[in-house]
Amino acid sequence: MGLYPLRDPSLSGSFALRLAIQGGGAPQRRNRRQAGGRGAAKGRGRGKKAASDEEEEEEEEEEEAPRGRRGANRKKATKKQEEDSDEEDNPKRKRGAAGANKRKGRKGQENEESEEDTKKGRRGGKKGGKDEEPKGKKGDAKGKDKGKDKGKEKGKDKGKDKGKDDDKKKKKKKGGSSSDSNSNSEEEDSLSEGEMARLMEEVEEKKKLIANIRNKPWRMHRRLTHLKEAQEFVDKFEGALGKGKGRKWYAYKVMMTKKWIKFQRDFENFRTSCIPWESRIKEVESHFGSSVASYFIFLRWMYGLNMVLFGFTFGLVVIPEVLMGLPYGSIPRKTVPREEQATAQDYSVLMDFDGYCKYSVLFYGYYNNQRTIGLLKFRQPLSYLLVGIGTFGYSLMVVIRTMAKNADVGGGDGEEGEFTFAWKMFTSWDYLIGNAETADNKYASITTSFKESIVDEQENQKDENIHLRRFLRVLANFLITCILGGSGYLIFFVVKRSQAVKDKADASWYEKNELELIMSLLGLVCPPLFETIAELEDYHPRIALKWQLGRIFALFLGNLYTFLLALFDEVNTMIESEQNIKNQSNLMMMEYYANYSRLMNDSEATPPPMDPADVIRGPCWETAVGIEIVKLTVSDIQVTYLTILIGDFARAVIVRFLNYCWCWDLEAGFPSYGEFDISGNVLSLVFNQGMIWMGAFFAPGLVGINVLRLLTSMYYQCWAVMATNVPHERVFKASKSNNFYMGLLLLILFLSLLPVVFAIMTMSPSFDCGPFSGKEKMFDVIMETISLDLPPFMGTVFSYAANPGLIIPAVLLMVRIIVAGRTKTTQTWGAE
Amino acid sequence: MGSRASTLLREEEIEEIKKETGFSHSQITRLYSRFTSLDKGENGTLSREDFQRIPELAINPLGDRIINAFFTEGEDQVNFRGFMRTLAHFRPIEDNEKNKNAASTEPLNSRANKLLFAFQLYDLDRDDKISRDELLQVLRMMVGVNISDEQLGSIADRTIQEADTNGDNSISFSEFTKVLEKVDVEQKMSIRFLH
Repeated sequence: MGLYPLRDPSLSGSFALRLAIQGGGAPQRRNRRQAGGRGAAKGRGRGKKAASDEEEEEEEEEEEAPRGRRGANRKKATKKQEEDSDEEDNPKRKRGAAGANKRKGRKGQENEESEEDTKKGRRGGKKGGKDEEPKGKKGDAKGKDKGKDKGKEKGKDKGKDKGKDDDKKKKKKKGGSSSDSNSNSEEEDSLSEGEMARLMEEVEEKKKLIANIRNKPWRMHRRLTHLKEAQEFVDKFEGALGKGKGRKWYAYKVMMTKKWIKFQRDFENFRTSCIPWESRIKEVESHFGSSVASYFIFLRWMYGLNMVLFGFTFGLVVIPEVLMGLPYGSIPRKTVPREEQATAQDYSVLMDFDGYCKYSVLFYGYYNNQRTIGLLKFRQPLSYLLVGIGTFGYSLMVVIRTMAKNADVGGGDGEEGEFTFAWKMFTSWDYLIGNAETADNKYASITTSFKESIVDEQENQKDENIHLRRFLRVLANFLITCILGGSGYLIFFVVKRSQAVKDKADASWYEKNELELIMSLLGLVCPPLFETIAELEDYHPRIALKWQLGRIFALFLGNLYTFLLALFDEVNTMIESEQNIKNQSNLMMMEYYANYSRLMNDSEATPPPMDPADVIRGPCWETAVGIEIVKLTVSDIQVTYLTILIGDFARAVIVRFLNYCWCWDLEAGFPSYGEFDISGNVLSLVFNQGMIWMGAFFAPGLVGINVLRLLTSMYYQCWAVMATNVPHERVFKASKSNNFYMGLLLLILFLSLLPVVFAIMTMSPSFDCGPFSGKEKMFDVIMETISLDLPPFMGTVFSYAANPGLIIPAVLLMVRIIVAGRTKTTQTWGAE
Repeated sequence: MGSRASTLLREEEIEEIKKETGFSHSQITRLYSRFTSLDKGENGTLSREDFQRIPELAINPLGDRIINAFFTEGEDQVNFRGFMRTLAHFRPIEDNEKNKNAASTEPLNSRANKLLFAFQLYDLDRDDKISRDELLQVLRMMVGVNISDEQLGSIADRTIQEADTNGDNSISFSEFTKVLEKVDVEQKMSIRFLH
């Protein structure tokens, strides 16, 4: 079809066959949206050209059936005969090609006609009448856009049909009318008996002609003209001769079936287009292979997970507080203190999540400890706690379930198998590669892997200086441990220092953001350092990659935990100072009241409540923790985006344009274009998610920020990868890494679970901020609910159930159920 | 689009294809629209050139062999029926099919048939054995000139050594099946339909 660019990757890509493919790339899907668009485009063009194309269409149709039959049992013996007919066919084919696009657009109508044809062929022409009437009419209705053309042609028909004047009138009327059934039924009444009979006869005659036209010894051209005329005639007049309601009902039914099919198709299209970024990821996949695409699929999966968390957090915590809770400025925890008010709207202050940000729904401190809010008596504190725990519960469930599912799917890789070479031989080509550059890389990577296998084989046989290697490996690990320890200490040191800085009024920007900067820098510098050191070890690259991942992970984790420990340190000092402030605050309250009554000289009068901005506040450690984590997340986002902009984009621009005037080939030589760093990106995504899990309890707004981050990174990174990166030299298998990444995610989930649970279970909440203020422990809110809202016997049941001896088996059982239930669930972390 | 394409196909034809290949009605119309969009000559058949225009096949080292699999001996055109007959190997295995293996004849898309299709890509002389020479040919196509002939030879030897159980220095179909025992052929050698 002329309109279709076949080079379109989605079109041709979907055609590729999935043979023995290495790696579990995401499935190819047809891009239906495009198809829809094309259809529409065709539709637009159809009305105009219909008339001129009609002839060609008929020809096509006429030819098709015999050709199909011929094609099926072609034999060399009959070649000559065929050549003859081909000669006849050829020019028509060409014409047919020209009209083919429109032909598709009008297929609906054509179908009717061809169906009629075949039916009549079988029945011998006479009996078909009744059934076909509605169909003819349907065709009529369908072709109403070209009604005018038909009207014109009618004039031509006139002579042959010996049409009377009233016939002609009718035709014209029909041609213009868009609701044929109505006009038809009117006309039906107006027809006289004799005319009816004659018309019926004529229609029958035409039908006979249509049925037999293939057997007539006419030239093709003549046959076609006759066929066309007859079909048109039948189309027009069959409807007029139908009888009563049955016909309409049938037409209606046919129409509804068509509509229903159309609807299903549209719905299917809609559903496909609802899979977010499908085409985007496909595009990346076709250029970079399934491994890079796996990162984006992972990103999308993360996005889905975070959307659910976002829904919970905002639906059950943030929005109720905004809608039903006390408004801003009503109580101290919802008001910016007087001394901060002057700067509370400054950009720099807001960027530090201080000022108005700090006293907003984004953070823990804003929430009130009212047991119920609003008309619905929404248990806000309880909901807050349950959402906090539910976040972990849901994430845990989803991650474990996905892992179980992946473990089920996996298995298609012969890493440790006995058939190393045979596997490489038969399964190493990725049949979905459609891009020359990627293919070249694949060739290279297959070559490398073969070479590697040869090297492996050789290595297995001979055993050279093992002592030196051992020494080097120990040395490398020692160095890396040093770096890890050093970076940990550095962070600890910086956290300590930043606490000191906090008290200073005139801290510079660097001093304020030192912690985030250092952490991001460590994340940037250490991985390449590890890589360099890892060369000492001389591991097999595959193993080296795992080590590398493990080390970076350890670095991130170490940093995270050092950061946390320092934070807890800070929190402890805050809690210590809290008691002091609490006393002060009470004292001040009393002083205020005393002053009031003294000034008014009236001890009876109740003083107006103190302005909430003036009340002395506690440090509110929860909000402080929340702010730290949010700041860390935001700076992580900034660093990631800047790295892409500078490290990839600027580099690509330089390499691309400086190459014209440089002494060596920049593109092939030293700087070259960046490769997409899958492991690094996945790790930072995983690490980021850990921060979110940890911070979500202290800063409900964090989930929202994260959703935004994932959303933008999807577009940004997709763009960056397509615009600035080159495909990998060594494409590693995506399907294998999936569960490895998921395992990391699970690990970090547990690790971020610990501090939060620790905080909830052991630390006492701030006295003047947050939903749990005034309680000894945060989980007291559950006890409160049990004792106040549930019947008393439930309390005893819960106290038994809280026994650890029962909880642990219950948790184990739940995990078991989740894992076992995987076969029934359809949820996966890919699009598959 | 699919619904329109379907009407170019005759119902009986679809029925026959359905019987022959097991594809569903909508799948056939889907593939038919794919077929017509590949058919640059607009003559209802596909030529080798039409296949070559699919980048995935053009680039594939085994692309020519895959394309060959669509054509019957001595023909250089394939019509929709033939096209579908070959594609039937790639029809996804449905869940209910897995269970009723008591079917009279094995469907074209069974695991064994899928593997046989792959096997025949390697078995050029159709003697039901993949010989060392045939392996070497494939290797050359896959790694080009980057590896010396000597090494290629040893790779081929190793491959056969790994897979060969009966000691005839070639890989038979049963040995081939055994090698790929752990590969999820059912999934990997299937067309992905959206529904």
